[in-house]
Amino acid sequence: MEMVELGGKMLEIDEDGFIQDPDLWDEAVAADLAKTEGVDELGELHWKLVNYLRDYYLEFNMAPMIRKLCKATDLKLKEVYDLFPSGPAKGACKVAGLPKPTGCV
Amino acid sequence: MSEKKQRSHKAEMVIERLGQKLNRQVVGSLAACVHCGMCTESCHYVLANPGDPTYAPAYKADKVRKLFKRHYDWTGRVFPWWVKAGSVFTDEELEELKDTVFGKCTNCRRCTLNCPMGVDFATFNRMTRGLLVSVGIQPEGVAVVSKDQWEIGNQMGVLKEDYLDTLEWMEEELQDELEDPGVTIPVDASDCDVLYAINPREVKYDPRSIADAAKIFHAAGEKWTMPSEGWDQTNFGLFSGDDALGGSVARRLYEKVIELNAGKLVISECGHGYRSTRCEGSNWAGFDVPFEMESSVLTMLRYIKEGRIKVDRSRNTQLVTFHDSCNNARSCGLFEEPRELLNLVCENFQEMYPNRAENYCCTGGGGAMSMSEYTPQRLKSGVIKADQLKETGAEVVVTSCHNCVDGLSDVIKHYEIDMEVTQLVNLVANALVIEEKVVVPVEEVPVAVTADEVPVAAALEALPLSGRVIVVADDEPDQVEFLATVLEDNGATVHRAGTGDEALELARREKPDLLTLDLHMPGRDVGEVFEMLREDPELEDLKICVITGRPELRRLIYDRSVRRPEGYLDKPVDEANLMLNVRKILELAHEEG
Repeated sequence: MEMVELGGKMLEIDEDGFIQDPDLWDEAVAADLAKTEGVDELGELHWKLVNYLRDYYLEFNMAPMIRKLCKATDLKLKEVYDLFPSGPAKGACKVAGLPKPTGCV
Repeated sequence: MSEKKQRSHKAEMVIERLGQKLNRQVVGSLAACVHCGMCTESCHYVLANPGDPTYAPAYKADKVRKLFKRHYDWTGRVFPWWVKAGSVFTDEELEELKDTVFGKCTNCRRCTLNCPMGVDFATFNRMTRGLLVSVGIQPEGVAVVSKDQWEIGNQMGVLKEDYLDTLEWMEEELQDELEDPGVTIPVDASDCDVLYAINPREVKYDPRSIADAAKIFHAAGEKWTMPSEGWDQTNFGLFSGDDALGGSVARRLYEKVIELNAGKLVISECGHGYRSTRCEGSNWAGFDVPFEMESSVLTMLRYIKEGRIKVDRSRNTQLVTFHDSCNNARSCGLFEEPRELLNLVCENFQEMYPNRAENYCCTGGGGAMSMSEYTPQRLKSGVIKADQLKETGAEVVVTSCHNCVDGLSDVIKHYEIDMEVTQLVNLVANALVIEEKVVVPVEEVPVAVTADEVPVAAALEALPLSGRVIVVADDEPDQVEFLATVLEDNGATVHRAGTGDEALELARREKPDLLTLDLHMPGRDVGEVFEMLREDPELEDLKICVITGRPELRRLIYDRSVRRPEGYLDKPVDEANLMLNVRKILELAHEEG
């Protein structure tokens, strides 16, 4: 595990760049993580998506299905991929401070 | 002698269980290595780490081989020092072994292919993974995923209601897109011709491929269904080496197919899923599978060849290249079909080198995507893949494996390559021509056709090849007669050739519209004949349809840097299929009849 500076503080990340302690996540951390996923500026829709992912994770301790994500945020599937080109699993989840999703991703 | 080394319980179990895992294939591979080094250069880890001998397949294999020699082979008892027999004693040593078998090999089997002794390293690498897993030594990601697959029934822990909700969602999206409320994604329908099983990644994170597949099934008029349970065609048992898990997962799917009385199991584009379900699962499960299993790549290709769907390749204009998944290609022989399909739905295809059985792993094979602790060395080994990708100059890399999609995406990101990753199902769906009115199946036509139209239709139908000149080249007289008769009955003028040279001569003299070409004929090499035909400026408009009983010979044709054949048929050929393809090649719309 490596320590890197994100949002002005030192955080531990795993080998795939996912932060290890979700309690240390904040908006500045998200903004820096977004840059590693090719998103330079987080807009309103990005935040809607990221906040939903984080709230869901804090409640259920897992990443939501893409179906739930789209339903709750009223985003089309295509829009999710436009917002986070690396997709919901690797891109959006990383920015929202979730651990790396398990399985073939 | 007095200080006999104590062995940990786990080490004891690993050695004992190794004995139970030894079968002829494993023993053959453990005994046969002559340390010639041929495997070394075939491994992408070695190529990316030239100074590090610990990545060499023979070196990695020796870590397992020494246990076999020491405990199960007579040579190790007689002269252990000579055959480098050795043992494991501590849990730390087992952890080190874990880092080798999980972290330094993706079980891609490229070394196997390059081994003159036929040592199948990946087979006993997988076996060793299984031994370690059986004593609880495994990467955390592998444990999590295996647990989900054991307990919830799929590798991403997707609950049944969420799965069904997602299918319903994709159904609605599709209905909106096609403006057709009749498009459905049937669930648990009995007696269908096709049962379609997917990778959980599709339902959890990217269901666009489900909608695309549904669109294709719909357009083909397929009687298909998805199962409500047992729908996961992936199998972590292949990666973890746990045969019990492998058998349990495969059995769930097989039993569902039988319960719903489906004719055929179609497996979505996933390399390890295909191999596990189609090739390995019945052995792990001890299950006699009574139905046919097929990769969706073959299904889609079949639909196009049978005229069940229409595609317009001009809708996919980007330069694409193809990445062979190790499990699909090297282990299951799925080489030509994806390329054939790709050429039918894309305008610009550029081969990647090396390819087919010699292609390099995406770096994400063998479950590597779920083992974060090894990501840095995985990405470092990706330099080989990155170079291969860059060399093609392609804008899009296509692959028939979900694991490869993620492995390649990681490599592309890490090495900053400007390239997208996609799968055949997405390209086929994009090229799909959906007609406003669905074509009525042939057997129902008489109801719709009025009395006046029948004779006209029949007359046109009778001689669809009138005025066409065709050369039939095949060295089997029966085959020539069969093909020629069918074509003549349909109005064509046919010339018969029995060798490549005769085919060349007839083509140059008669300037036919079409030439059917057998790939195995006496005399001149047919690949060369094909190239000469293609390079003859006077034969620019000649269409060529390969008809062969030996699909492995396709390389004769596809490896040449000339225009590909317009058609491709496997023997045995029946009349309907021949006519369908000939008409399609000659661009005679078959609805005209």
